[in-house]
Formats: sequence, C-alpha cells, structure tokens
Amino acid sequence: MASTTTNDSVSVADYDLVRKLAPHLDRHMIFPLLEFSAGQLVDEETGDIKDEKKAREINQAKFALLKKTDMTDYVANLYCELEGLKEPPTEYADRKQKVFSQLEKYEQETSKITELLAQDEVVSNLRSDKVANLEYLKKDHNVTIEMVDALYDYGNLQYSCGNYADATELLYRFRVLSTDNDKVAFATWGRLACEILNMNWESAMEELQKVREMIDTKLANNPLAQLYHRTSLVHWALFPLFNYDKAREPLLELFFSAPYINTIQANCPWILRYLTVAVITNRGRAKNIGVQQKQMKDIVRIVKQEAYEYQDPVTSFVHALCIDFDFEEAQQQLTTAEEILRTDFFLVAHADDFVDSARHLIFESYCKIHSRISLKDLSARLGLNAEDAEKWIVNLIRDTRLDAKIDSKEGTVVMNHPPSSVYQQVIERTKGGFFRTQVLSAAVAR
Amino acid sequence: MSRFFRGGDDSSSESSSDEEELYSGDEAEPKVAKDVAVDSDDESEEEDEEEEASDSSDSDAGAQKKGLSRFLLDQESSEEENSDAEETTKVKSAKDKRHDELDATIALILNGQKINDWGSIANEFDKLNRQVVKLLDGGKAPKAYIKCIAELEDFMNETQAKQKVTPKKMNATNARGLNTVKQRIKKNNKDYQAQIDAFRKNSDDFMESDEEEEKPAPKPKVRFQDFALDATAEEDDEGFATVGKGGRALLFTPESIFKHLRTILESRGKKNTDRLEQIKVMEKLFEVAVTPYQKIRVLMTLVSARFDLGSGAATSMPLEHWKASERELSTLLQILEKEKDHIVIEGAEEWEDDDKPPTLEGGAKYIKVPGSIVSFIERLDDELTRSLQAIDPHTSEYIERLTDEGSLYNIIFQGLLYYEMLRKDATLEVPQDSLNRIIQRRLDHIYFKPSQVIKILEENSWKQVPSNIDSSITPRNETNDAGQLINTVCSYLFENSEGIIRARAMLCQIYFLALHDDYYRARDMMLTSHLQESIANFDINSQILYNRTLVQVGLCAFRKGLVYDAQNTLQEICGSGRQKELLAQGVMIQRYSQVTPEQERLEKQRQLPFHMHINLELLECVYLTCSMLLEIPLLAQTGSSPDVKKRVISKTYRRMLEYHERQIFTGPPENTRDHVMQASKALAAGEWKKATHFIHSIKIWELMPDTDDIKAMLAKQIQEEGLRTYLFTYAPFYDTLAVETLSGMFELDSRKVSAVVSKMISHEELAAALDQVTETVIFRKGVELSRLQSLALTLSDKASALIETNERTLEQRTQGSTNAFNRKDGRGGQRGGGQRGGRGGARTGGNTQRQAGGTQFTGGALGAAVRG
Repeated sequence: MASTTTNDSVSVADYDLVRKLAPHLDRHMIFPLLEFSAGQLVDEETGDIKDEKKAREINQAKFALLKKTDMTDYVANLYCELEGLKEPPTEYADRKQKVFSQLEKYEQETSKITELLAQDEVVSNLRSDKVANLEYLKKDHNVTIEMVDALYDYGNLQYSCGNYADATELLYRFRVLSTDNDKVAFATWGRLACEILNMNWESAMEELQKVREMIDTKLANNPLAQLYHRTSLVHWALFPLFNYDKAREPLLELFFSAPYINTIQANCPWILRYLTVAVITNRGRAKNIGVQQKQMKDIVRIVKQEAYEYQDPVTSFVHALCIDFDFEEAQQQLTTAEEILRTDFFLVAHADDFVDSARHLIFESYCKIHSRISLKDLSARLGLNAEDAEKWIVNLIRDTRLDAKIDSKEGTVVMNHPPSSVYQQVIERTKGGFFRTQVLSAAVAR
Repeated sequence: MSRFFRGGDDSSSESSSDEEELYSGDEAEPKVAKDVAVDSDDESEEEDEEEEASDSSDSDAGAQKKGLSRFLLDQESSEEENSDAEETTKVKSAKDKRHDELDATIALILNGQKINDWGSIANEFDKLNRQVVKLLDGGKAPKAYIKCIAELEDFMNETQAKQKVTPKKMNATNARGLNTVKQRIKKNNKDYQAQIDAFRKNSDDFMESDEEEEKPAPKPKVRFQDFALDATAEEDDEGFATVGKGGRALLFTPESIFKHLRTILESRGKKNTDRLEQIKVMEKLFEVAVTPYQKIRVLMTLVSARFDLGSGAATSMPLEHWKASERELSTLLQILEKEKDHIVIEGAEEWEDDDKPPTLEGGAKYIKVPGSIVSFIERLDDELTRSLQAIDPHTSEYIERLTDEGSLYNIIFQGLLYYEMLRKDATLEVPQDSLNRIIQRRLDHIYFKPSQVIKILEENSWKQVPSNIDSSITPRNETNDAGQLINTVCSYLFENSEGIIRARAMLCQIYFLALHDDYYRARDMMLTSHLQESIANFDINSQILYNRTLVQVGLCAFRKGLVYDAQNTLQEICGSGRQKELLAQGVMIQRYSQVTPEQERLEKQRQLPFHMHINLELLECVYLTCSMLLEIPLLAQTGSSPDVKKRVISKTYRRMLEYHERQIFTGPPENTRDHVMQASKALAAGEWKKATHFIHSIKIWELMPDTDDIKAMLAKQIQEEGLRTYLFTYAPFYDTLAVETLSGMFELDSRKVSAVVSKMISHEELAAALDQVTETVIFRKGVELSRLQSLALTLSDKASALIETNERTLEQRTQGSTNAFNRKDGRGGQRGGGQRGGRGGARTGGNTQRQAGGTQFTGGALGAAVRG
C-alpha cells in the first residue's frame, strides 16, 4: 500500500482542488483546508513530516492567508515558525494592541444597543417594520444610525479576530435594526460564514437560504453579479453538504436547480466532483427514490457535457460506467477516486461510503445488462475476494430485491430479466394523468 | 442649403436661383428645397451623392454659407470664368442640337395650348425647363424660351379666368396639370423676370436681338452682368479643360488651392461634371500644396472625388483610381501622423476664409479639418469588395486584385492607430462609434483567415509604422499570435459597442475559433451569445455571417469526430437546400417566385467575394456523411417495427436515399452524393468495409486539414454504426450471438463490442442481455408487440403529451409562478447540452427526464397555483 501511495501521490496531487476552491472561499474558511493539507503530510505512525518543502509551503500559505486578519497572536507564531525566530517582532504586539483598543472602542459604542436589546420591554415594542423600529429606538432611547453601524463594524472585527460566535450575534442584531440594504446583505453573508465556521449547521442552513433568496431577488438585473455570488454560495455550501446529513437533500436540490447547475457548469465545473460524490453516496439514503434517480441521470448528463472542461477520477468513473459502459475502466477509476477522496478535505469522511455506493452502482448496471455473471469475475470487478463477494451479493439481492439467483455449483449469478409487460407500461404512463387533470381543472375553475 | 443637392438636371429655376438671391436674398432657399423634392427621377443617384457629400468634409460648408459669402464666392468663380471665356471656342453643334430640341418642346407646348391639354403642357414644361438649363448662356435664357414661358403664363391666367366663369369643370388630369404649371411658372418666371419684362415691353425687338446674343459674348452686356457672375458647372469644366490644355500650370499656386477646391466641391454631383478632369486638377494642386493644411484638404477632396467615379450601383471603381486613392489615403494618414497639430475630425467647423489658411489660435490645440477618415476607409474597403465581386475568381486577375487586400489592411491599421491617437485626447470627443467601425473593418479582414496568413498581414502592417508607436487596443507584442489578436479585438468590441457590431464581433470570434478547431469554446460562445433567438432581427449581412459561423462550427465538430453535433448544427443550413443563398455564395435561380430586378441587384451586392467562400461541396459532403451515420442505424431500428412512429433526422438525406433506391440500375459513383448514397446502401446491408471504401474514395476530403485523421475517424464511426445497424437488422433472426463473432466481423476490440452492446441494452434499444460466462449476446424473444398493444402505447403517450400541453398553456395564461419560470430556464440551459448530448443515450434519457420533470412540475407550480 505504501508503495502505491508514493506512485499515486503525484497523480492525486494533480487533482487537488484547494487552489481552485480558494478564490471562492473566505480567508477563514480556507484555513481549515490548509490545516487539513498540512495534516495529510504528517505520517500517522511516526508523527514525522514527510515532505519538508511542502509543509513549509503550506505554512507560508497559511501566513499569507492570515496576514490580513486580526488573529495577531496566531499570525505572530506562524511568522516565528517560518523565520525560525524565538520572539515575534514588535509590530505584532503593536497590532495586537491596536486590535484590542478597537475592540474596546466598539464595545463601548455598541454597549447601549446591546443593553437595550436585552431588555424585554424594548424587544416587545419592536415590530416587523424596520423603519418604525428605528424611529422608535431613536425617539425613546436615543439610538442613532451610527450606533447601529457600529454594530456592523464590531461584528466585522470580531469575525476578523476569529470570535465567530460573538460576530454572529452582533451581526444578527445589526440585521434586525439596519435599513441599509447593502450592509444587511453583507451581514447575511457574514453570518453564514460565522455559522459555518462555528459548525452551527442548522442556522447555517437558514442563512444559506436567506442568501439564496437575496441573490435571486436583489441581483435579478445583474446576471454577472448573480453568477459570481452563486459561485461563492455553492462553494460555501460544501461545508454543510458534507458535514451535516440533514442538509444534504435540500442542498442537492439547490445544486440541481437550474440557475445553480448552470453556474456550476459555467463557472466552477470542479464542483462536479463533490456533486457526484454527494449523489452517489446519497443512494439508498434518499427518501424519494425518484428524485435520486433523476439526480443521477442529471449528473451523468452534466458529466458528459463537461467532460471536455473538467475531468477527474470521480467524474471519469461516472463517465466510464454510465456512458461508455466500460466496467473495467470504471473499476480502475474507482480505485483512484478512492485515493482522491481520502485526500480531500470535504470528502475524506465519505470515502468508504462512496466506494460502497459505487460498487452498488456497478453491480446494478452490470446486472441490468448481463443475464449470467461469473462470481469470480464479479468479485474481481468489485475489488473483493470471492467469499466476501458472495456474501455481499446475497445481501444486495435481499436488500434491493433484485431478481437474481446464485448458482453455487457453476459459480455464477443468474439474472432474470422479465420483459416489462405492455400492460404495465400503459398503466405507468397513464397513472398520473387523472391527478394532473384534476389539478388542472381546479386551476382553471379558480 | 447645400449645393450638392443640385442634381445635374434640375430645372433651370434652380441653377438660376443664385441670381435670384442677388435680388431677394432669402427667398430662394425654400424653393431649391422644393425642387429637390420634385426631382424624384434621380433620387437614387442623388442619394448616393448625398451620402458622399455628407461623408466628405464639406457637407456642412454649403449649409453654413449665407448671404455674403455666397455672393463673394460667385464672383470669384465667375472672374475665372470670364478670363477663360475669352479663349473658349464653344462647340456649336451640340448647342444647336439642344436649341432644336428646345424648339420642338416649345412647339409641343403651343400645341397643348391650342387643344387646352394641361396635362401634356405640364409635362412638356418640365422638360423645357430641364433643357433650358443646358442652354443658359451666362445665366441668360434663349429668347425662344422666354417667349414661350411669357406666353404660357398669359395663357394660363386666361384659362384660369375662364375657369372661374364657366360652370363646366375640367377633367382631373387637366386640372392637375393646370395647377402644376401654375405653381411652377410663378416660381420659374421670377427668375427670368427681367427678360420677360423686356419681352413684354417690346416683343419684336426682343426677338430680333436674339441673333447676336446667342453668340458667345466676349464681354457680357452690362444688363446681364449680374447673371454672368454666376458660374455654372459645365462652364467651370470647360474653363479648367482649357487651362489644362493650355498648360497654364502657373494658375495653380499654393494660394489659389482653396479656391480651386471650392469650385470643385461645388460642381460635385452635377451631371456633366468631368470628374477625371477634376482629379487631374487636384493631382496638380497636391503637387503645389505646401502647408500640411493644404495637403490635407487637397487629399481629402481628391479621395472623395475618386470615390465619385464608382458611385454607380453596380460598377466598381476603376483599378488605377482605387490604387491611387489607396496611396493618397496612406499619404494623408502619414501627414496626419507627422503633423500632430492637424487633425481630421467629424463635425469640425468649416474654415470659411479661402484666402488665408487657418492658424492655431490661442488656446486651441489643433487645427481641425472636417472629414471622416473612417468613412474613407470603409469606402475603400467596399470598393475592393465590389471589384472582387465583379472579377471572375478563376482568373489571375482576381488573385492580383486580392493582393491589394494587404495594402488595404495596412490602411485600416493606420487608420486605427490614428483614431486611437485622437481618442487619447478626451477634449476632442471622438465618438466611440468611429473607432468601433474601424476595428470592425479590421476584424472583417482577418476573422476567416488561417492564423499564418493573419500573422503575415500583421507583420506587414507593423513594419509600416515607426517602432515608437504602439496601439493601446492591440499592443504590438500581443498581436504575434492570431488567436490572441482576434480575442483582444473581439473583447474590445464586445465591451465598447452594442447592437450589431457587438454581435458581429462575437460571430467573428466564434468563426475564428471554429476554423482553428477550438470546438468547445466556439460552441459555448455560440450558446451563451443567445444569438439564435435574436438573429432574425438583424440586418441581412449579419444573418449571413451568422449562417457562415454556424456552418463553420458544424464543420469543426465534424473534424473533431462529433458526428451528432455536426449534423445538428449543419441541419438548419444544409437541410434547407438553399446553402448558396444562405451563405451569400451565389444567387439561386428562382423558378417560381418572381424577383424584382431591385431585389436581384441587392442580392448580388451581398455576395461574398470568392476568397471568403466556404466550400459548398465539402459542406454537402460532410452533412450527408453525418446524416448517413445517424440515419442508417435509425432506419434499421425502426425498420423492424413498422408501428413505431418514424423519426426523421434529415429530410434531405432521406429524399436522396429514396431517389437513389428507386433507380433500377446504379452505375459506379461519380459525384460526392453518389458516393455517400452507395456507402449508405452498403452500410445498411452490414458491409461496413465497402461503405468505408466508398466514403474514403471521395476526393473532397483532401481539402480538409489532416485528411488521414478524418478518414480514420470516419472508418471508426462506420465500424461502430455498422455494428449497431447489423444488430438492429438481424436481431430478430438470432437467439444468441457470440461477442467474438461480432468482434471478428467488424474488426473491433471485443471490449468495444460489448461496450456498444451494453449501451444498446441499457438504453433499451435492444431486447437482449449479455452472458458473461459464454461471452454471448442473448436475444430475448416475445418482446414484439401486437398492433393493438403498440397502439395503446402510442395513445397513452399522446394523452400525457396532451396533459402537458394543457399545463403549459395554463402556465402561460396565468403568467406562471417563479417555479414555472425556473423550469423554463432549465430547458433553455439544457438546450446546449441536453439535446446535443449523446445520441441514443441522451435521447431516451431526455424523454424520461421530461416526463419526470412534468410530474414534478404538477406538484410544484400548479399545486402552488391551486393552493395560492
């Protein structure tokens, strides 16, 4: 295994997406990605760093990344590490001081509002109308616009310092009060970032939904900005997609909606890898099998369309299996894909899942086409030994109610393909008709 | 009122309107305007000239001329004329002939008076006025004419008086004629009032003095001096002609340049102007010109005069003049390049004072000369195209002429540099449009060329300009690579222009990309441009460009081996059977519909010069081959079950195939079409080798780059499609079929064979399954449907289609909800890939998908509609 990794590491590195993802993510979000890459380099058993040069590169990248943030202590440490110094230069101390003083300043400026919002009587007086709220606060409590804006700046600073929880709270308050649409939009993005970084997936999903609506409505007359924002949203959404199971279905739905799938195709085809993995691993888990099948079909179509622009082992696997029906090639791609999944920040947790689902997929389409399969051959194809394969197939047949039997003596799996009955077909096709007509007539009558 | 508007054969009233002005300053203007309006015969010609006039610098000149300056001008020119007149011996015979004509017309008018036919009088009167213009002798009309119009006026007054008394009405024609004459005569006679008065006073004396006054008068009589001051066009010419012959080159002094130019400009557009003569004069003027201002002015007038030579609709400019004007434009640009304080700019003020040239006044940075370089360049370009259209492309003459394109390209390039320089000074407010136009011209010359050729063109033009000058739009070091150049130019146009130029820039870039085998980028650009929706609203030339681009993209797809995409793209153009017309590469002979000569002329004008053509035979060959590769398996698939609704990919191909099959005896193939047809037959019969042979023996593949690759690609496609066809055709006759056998038959890898079979099985095109152990294809039996069953299936399909249509109608009615619109977007987006996608795969896939979309849609949009 060790020998193969050294050989493959070159090719796997070729498919590393961090560089492509980075421009669309926030600084703070890139950080975990870099941490992960650095972690990859550490040998699990010995704790040694395998590739000094690369590790240094990553450290440099980290430093460059965080230089502009206000996490001064960490940056200073990084700097020392890079330069081999014991003590950080004084400028970092200065900066730290400055940041603290600023924090204090904002703290004071916003203290009044914070207090006010903590009082029940004030909160109970707030209505859904923001303008009226502001009027009310102005009149009764001497709150000025500047104070509200200070909330925003304070939140921004907190975020920059890495205090995501505080930042989200501040931005939330700001959003309740502010009437400045642009700033509210920024605040929403900011909250989304905070929630993601705090791994508060549920509220992150809420924010995501808000951002999505905002893009649809506010930027409707600026397609380019829409494209740009959607690209970012797609990238940001990768965090909840692979870390929060409940987010998966709504997010897949989002990705497959026409504007977003167009965005992916036009602007960031590398997302296809994540999308493909998400769809394939979603097999069986999805509540609605119809939706899952449709998504599978969509992904096959898109992979085919974008083959000239983007290819990696994951998409190649889909291509080989569902378009070329080249099972051997698919098998090969699956092994490389597994490697890649293990080195990908988002997908590392799903590698096993993916391999399992992919095997299912191979077997399913294999069975669809073949009427008799030799067990030995199949086990090779699935990358399992004969005994495991037999077990695996038995489980599969039971789970999916495939119409297949194992002929133990011959060592074959025999498929039974009942031709779909014409009557069944007619029934299928006319099934929805009545309901649809009813809906239609109801709509007309209204 | 511009003097250019005077058509050569305007009525006499017009040419004498200047005299009138001497008396009553401002009355003449509306009159002249009216005359122009009346003069509808020459409208088209005049329009041409008008265009020229506005192009050239001096269009505003006339407009700004007011009382005094005009007066002065007339004097100047007439002085010249007087001095010339002494030496002139007039050609009698021509003049006499005109006199005779005049007399004849007068006789007709008299005749008309006798029978009271005002209709014919009106006609003849117009004719008379036209004739008399040529006979104006120093502004003085012939006696006979004066007599006639005086009498006519009297007669008219009489008739009108009568008309009032008698209750009987005149018929319509007569009444109209009378009215016309009445209006004209009033206007007209005013001009000759003096003469008419003289005539009225003493008709006999007046007529007697006739004789001597018809002679060329060495000294005009005092009475007519004022008239004589006006110089008419013809006499100007004669004057200059004499000067030329007399060799009085001294006449052309640097000081008099502007006067000469002025007279030349004034005579422009008149009928009997001898343009060649003027050009000679100006060439001499250029020799004596000293200051840059003079040079610029002379060159500009000279170039526009040269363009006038080719101002007919069909004729192109003579070759030597084209070359000369190309040289002169180049000189002009060089002068402008050198003399930075002189600029030629549209809408600059005309310099009125001919005696002293304009100087730089305090605060002014430039001496502005009105004119439009871009129009000159455009015109030069158009003239070259026109002449290329007229030359037989198979002669060496054509190739010779084509070499001029290089120098034209240089001019365009210099012009571009010049405009960039102008643009740098924001105070000049050079419109973006001019720059766009000139860049568009540049693009027009390169987009259809291979990159090597572009490179040579570019190198040559860069050689022309000194090395310290660089272009900001297309920097020197970026233009080495043709692709980059095109990209820069196109993106510049795309950002800075709108409408047609923008669309054209896009199309040119797509064309170039397709030509250089960059299929995916070309296709994506084509799709994102959304031009297919709006192209119908563009002008015809842009539509032609669109068609050309489409075809080029199709050919590119073919070269890439994407048969399905190629066929799909070419379908629209080649399926129509009107390729020639659609690509502007020849006029179709229309058998049934009537085409007016006007339309035909326009059509001819639109034709592209031969060197831009896309080879039509190659195009047809590609299209038919692609159609064959798609249609033959399809025919085999549907052939076995007659109940399946027949889907036709290419009607043209089907028709040809049917025609071919009807022939009883088929000889060896002669042309491309025969080859493809016989290949189709062979392919249908499973003889893929024969089919490959037929296709490979088509000669025209040689025209494609990498012929061998193309042939190899085709052979591969034929093998695969042959296998598919074979399976479709012979599936009913087999129970099992070994993959090995198939692989042997079609000389394909057994892995490839099983991939093809798997694909067919998976897409439910073939009722079969693979047996892995024995490596065989097992065909399932009993899947053939009875007639009733297949009808039931069709019925159910149609029913669901109906429901879907209903839903869509409702959606349109209710204007849909957001969901509904999203769905539409999705469709539009999919169009690029979904429909163009895989062959069999995407087809069936797309179908089910649409159904799935349909059901989902019911739950979504309509469900919401009910609830909401």
